[in-house]
Parts: sequence; structure tokens; C-alpha cells
Amino acid sequence: MRMRKARALPRAKVVPEAPPVWRPAVGPDLVPALLVFAATGLLVVGMMLASPSFGSFDQLTAILVTAIFLVVASFGQGLVILLGGIDLSLGVVIGIGGMMVAGLTRGSNDALMSAIPLTLLSCAGIGLINGIGVGLAKLPPFITTLSSGITFFGVALGITAGSSQQPVAPALQTFMNSGWLGLPYPILFTVAFVAAAWLFQNRSAEGRKLYAIGSSPGAARVLGLPVAALTIAAYAISGLCAGLTGILLAGYAASATLDMGSALLMPSIAAVVIGGARVTGGSGPYLGTFAGALFLSTLSTVITALSFSQGLRDIVQGGIILIALLLQSGRLNLRHHRWRWAHHQQGGGLT
Amino acid sequence: MTAASQLAQVRSVAAGGSAAAFVLLCIMTGIYAVHEPSALSAFGISNLLNNTVVLALAASGLTLVVLCGELDLSGPGVMAIGNVVVATTSTGSLGATGNLAAVLAIGAAVGGLNGFLVAYLGLQSLAVSLGSLIVCQGVALLILPAPGGEVTDTIVQAVSGDIRAIPAPALIMAVTAGLWLLLKHSRLGVALYAVGADEPSARLSGLNTRTTKLSAFVMSGIVYAIAGFVLSAEIGSGDPRVSDSFLLFMYAAVAIGGTSLGGGRGGVLGTLVGACILSVLQKMLFALGVADFYTNIFNGVIMILAIFFGQLSAWLARARHRGQG
Repeated sequence: MRMRKARALPRAKVVPEAPPVWRPAVGPDLVPALLVFAATGLLVVGMMLASPSFGSFDQLTAILVTAIFLVVASFGQGLVILLGGIDLSLGVVIGIGGMMVAGLTRGSNDALMSAIPLTLLSCAGIGLINGIGVGLAKLPPFITTLSSGITFFGVALGITAGSSQQPVAPALQTFMNSGWLGLPYPILFTVAFVAAAWLFQNRSAEGRKLYAIGSSPGAARVLGLPVAALTIAAYAISGLCAGLTGILLAGYAASATLDMGSALLMPSIAAVVIGGARVTGGSGPYLGTFAGALFLSTLSTVITALSFSQGLRDIVQGGIILIALLLQSGRLNLRHHRWRWAHHQQGGGLT
Repeated sequence: MTAASQLAQVRSVAAGGSAAAFVLLCIMTGIYAVHEPSALSAFGISNLLNNTVVLALAASGLTLVVLCGELDLSGPGVMAIGNVVVATTSTGSLGATGNLAAVLAIGAAVGGLNGFLVAYLGLQSLAVSLGSLIVCQGVALLILPAPGGEVTDTIVQAVSGDIRAIPAPALIMAVTAGLWLLLKHSRLGVALYAVGADEPSARLSGLNTRTTKLSAFVMSGIVYAIAGFVLSAEIGSGDPRVSDSFLLFMYAAVAIGGTSLGGGRGGVLGTLVGACILSVLQKMLFALGVADFYTNIFNGVIMILAIFFGQLSAWLARARHRGQG
């Protein structure tokens, strides 16, 4: 902080008549999202140049199909992080969603119509409990979601006795493996999902309220926003998205295990952060989260195509998260200076 | 010491929530001992400590970072590297001491990197340590792709045997508690609490908040490395994936021990109690005949209860403060 201040002052002298509001064509919030989209494109193009066998139409659609899980899961995670919270139960809820839809259908399509709503409702219910813990009981989100994750994992383990792997309804498998006019259904689903998520987070009144709560819960309460209700809603949506991810994952893998979601928990947080959001809340557009999810899925496919060992794979993925953070911090600092400068000009105090 | 100051001290401990945790530990140990009379024998206790010491160390390291208001996910990564390094090199020319030194250096390096990125470049600690956790797990897998390797007998006996009839794990935990008390009353310890409670005020009152955070990360990295070293001695071989399951329980131990995840409140003593609670809980449920997979439910419920008690006592402390002021 002290360093930032020291850097800000000389800048102030160089640009004495800087306009208080600085508006480029693309909002500054969207810059990281665009950079991450560009990086995703570069990754694919680089891979196509490096190995000519890579980059067939099928392979590119396969990348997009596998991206669906992280895209859906990270939307809920992103909403919760937007409020300054975090959802650590997400991996467990994904597993529960998959197990429920498999257990309720037992390989028949007839039960699917009731199984899917029931599964989504249960998963949203777990999110609702998280939300009540955070929003009403004022427990720290980290602990609330961690312990509800552990608890419900125990419940699910007890019910399934730890070992059941039922076949998933064939219709769900067909949905994940076929398409319409040459486009796989999962890609169409992703497009619709992303549009809906964007409309909700960045184009609706409720979305605006979430940003307001995330950047200053106290101010939001003074304004009369329903802070507790919206917090509970955000966690419930996160549970719902996790359940949906579980259903899709079960359809894709044709079977479900309780721990199949645990591999998605950390990437869901990473996707949100890479997209330019701060873990403390109140910032980051939805397109950033989407870009982060797309990037991480593409990276994982590319690394698989390169047949790296698991160790090297981890190093590349972790390293990319660190590099993305470093790149972002330079940008955030710059913007912070402008903001302070603008406030200084208007005569507004910093505190 | 007067009765009043003793009372004040008791209250200040209670405000951290660790007193509630200690009472809980006593109750659970009591229930366990009733159902399993051998629990309180020397063998039972040393067995229990053997099961606890690794988690206790790892969670103690985490506590230092949490106290100064940051989060750290890199612990299991450092433990994994420590474990595979010991398993691949301890039988070689380095020897036990050289091995320990190498592992400690690795821990300090990872902690230093995290601390630098968080304290000096202002990156978000949760995200940074997530990145370094994944990198560390990758490095561990490169060093030892599959479980295997061997830990030399010197290390195994030194860490899990008895020293003058006292189990080594008990000594390790006692030394941890002692070092913590020294740290807590040093300038650095006071700075940790100050930075965690209110960073802008700490900076304005002249504390170097960056150095404080960096030191917290480096110290925690070193403690994770010790945890990895002890883990190697406990399991006697290397496994790059064995430490993955620790992450949740490290946070559980910290939370149960009454340390606020927002920083500035709590301490390592509570964390040690928290780690003991988690392992006594498992033994107690086993003794009561509760099926293995329900243990997780109790883990989750106990975490919530501990947080609740912690918040309640913090609220009481504030209420009393208002009453005085």
C-alpha cells in the first residue's frame, strides 16, 4: 500500500489536468476477460502449429464439451466470491448431484423427469443451508461451506455405503454425446447457460445488488438492500449449479462416484480469480469467470494432448495461475492509482 | 498473581474460543476413556499423539498465516515435497540431519515465495497459495511419481520412538507450544496479531506490515516442512498424494481451536487442542461403534459448534468491554 502511494504521487504531477472519469471503449473490468480469451485462442493456435494432428473440428468441439463442467460450476462459485464469500462445498455437492441422478434413475429414462428436479432441489438445499449459515448466522463462509461439505459428504457416504456406482439414464448419456446440426448439445447448452448467467450477473437489478453487497456490505444494508436474502440466494444458486454440474458429469462419464467433483473445486476458484475477480468480493464481470473456465479447460485438454506426466501437468497449471495473478496485479495497481487520483481531484477524502 | 488478574487471563483465553475447545477435548476424552479403558494408558496416549502430531504441526503452521489475516492452501504441497525428498534421499549420503535441513530450506523457500507475492506485490493470498499448492504437488510427483521410497531407520526412531520414556510426538508438540509462547510475546508475535486485527492501523502505528506477513509465510512454510518430515517418519515411505487429505482438516483444527479466519484472534495452543479433538473424535466414535463413514458428519458439526462458541465468547468479550467503557 505504501509503495502504491509513493508511485501515485509523481504520476499526479505529470498529469495535472487528468479528467476525473476515464472511460475507454472497453470497460476496464473486461480487460482481463479479453486477455484470457486471447490467451485461450493463442493456446489453441500454438498447439495447432506445434502438432498438425491437433485442431481438427472434432477436437475443438471436444474441448468445448469438456469445458461445460467448469463453466457451470464456476458461475455459482463466482456469485459467491462476488459477495466476498467462497463455496468449498462445491466439489462434494457435484458428487452428490451425480450420485443422486444415477441412484434415482438406475439406468432408466422414465425416472429422469422426476430425478433431475429432485437432484437440483436437494443440491440447492445444501446451498441454502450454506447461505443461511453465512447470511443469517453470520458464520465465516470459509468454515460454513467447508464443514457443510464435510458433513454432507459423510451423509452421502453413509447412505450409499461408500461404494455404489449405478448406471446413469441413457437419455442423459445421449444428451452429452450427440448433437443437433453438427453441434453437440453440450455446446448449445453452454451457450444458453453463459447468456443466462451474463444476463443475471451483469444485466439484472439483482446482479447489481450483488456487486453492491460485495463491495460494501455495510453501505448496502444502509441502502435497504436485502443483504441476507441475496446472500442466501447466491449460495443456493451455487449449490444448484454444482448439482447441475454433477448431473452433466454423470451423463458424460456414464456413471457417478461420490468424489468425482473434488477435482473441480480448486479450478472453479481459479477460474473466477483468473478472470479478474478479487476474492474479497465486489469485482469481476461474469465474462471474466467464463473466460477463466474456458482457459483452464482448454489448458487441461492441451496438456493431455501433449501427454505430460501428472507432475509436469500440475506445475504448468499452478504456474499459469501464478502468472495470471502477477499480470493482473500490475493492471489492478494502475487502475487503483487512477481511481485515487480521480478522487483526489474531486476533493473527496480517501477514508 | 492476584485473583483478579488470573480471572482476566482466564477470560482473555476464553475470548479466543480455545477454552471451549479444551473443555470439549476433556469431555470427548472422558467418553472415549469410559468405553476404552486402555485409552489413558501410556500406550494409548502415545498412540493418540502419534496420530495427531502431523496434523497438529501442519495446522500450527497454518495458524501463523491465518493470524495475520491471510489464507494459505500451500501446506499439503510443502508436506508432499518434504515427504518425497526424505523418502528418496534419506538413505543416501545426506544423513538424517542434512535431510532435515534440506526439507526445512524447501519449506522456507515456498513460504518465502508465497509471502513475497502476497506482502510485496499485493496478490490475493488464497489464489497465490492455490497456485503454489498445485505447483508443489507437481514437483512432488516429479520427484517420486508413485508411492515408494524408504525412510532411514534413524529418522523413524527419532520421530516416532521414545526419548527418555517420553514419546517423541509429545515432545514435538510441547516444543511447538513452547516456541509459540516465545513467539507470541516477541515483537514479531505482537505484530502478527496487530496486522491481522487491523492492517491499516498497524501500518499507521509504524509496524512494517510487509515484513510481518513475509515472516508469517516463511515460518509457516518451515513448520509445514517439519510436518512433512514427521509424516515421512510415521509412514516410513514416500507418497506424493498422502498429504492431500490434510488441507480440510488443517483448517478444521485451526477453526475448532478458536482462531478467527479473519485474523487477529486465536493462537497455536488452541490449534494444538483442535488437532487433538479431531483425532480423539475419530477414536471416540470408533469406540462407540459408529460406522466409519459417519465420522465426517461429526467433524463438520464440531467445526460449526466450535465457530459458534468462538463467536459467542467474542461477542461476550465485546459486550463486557462496552459495559466497562
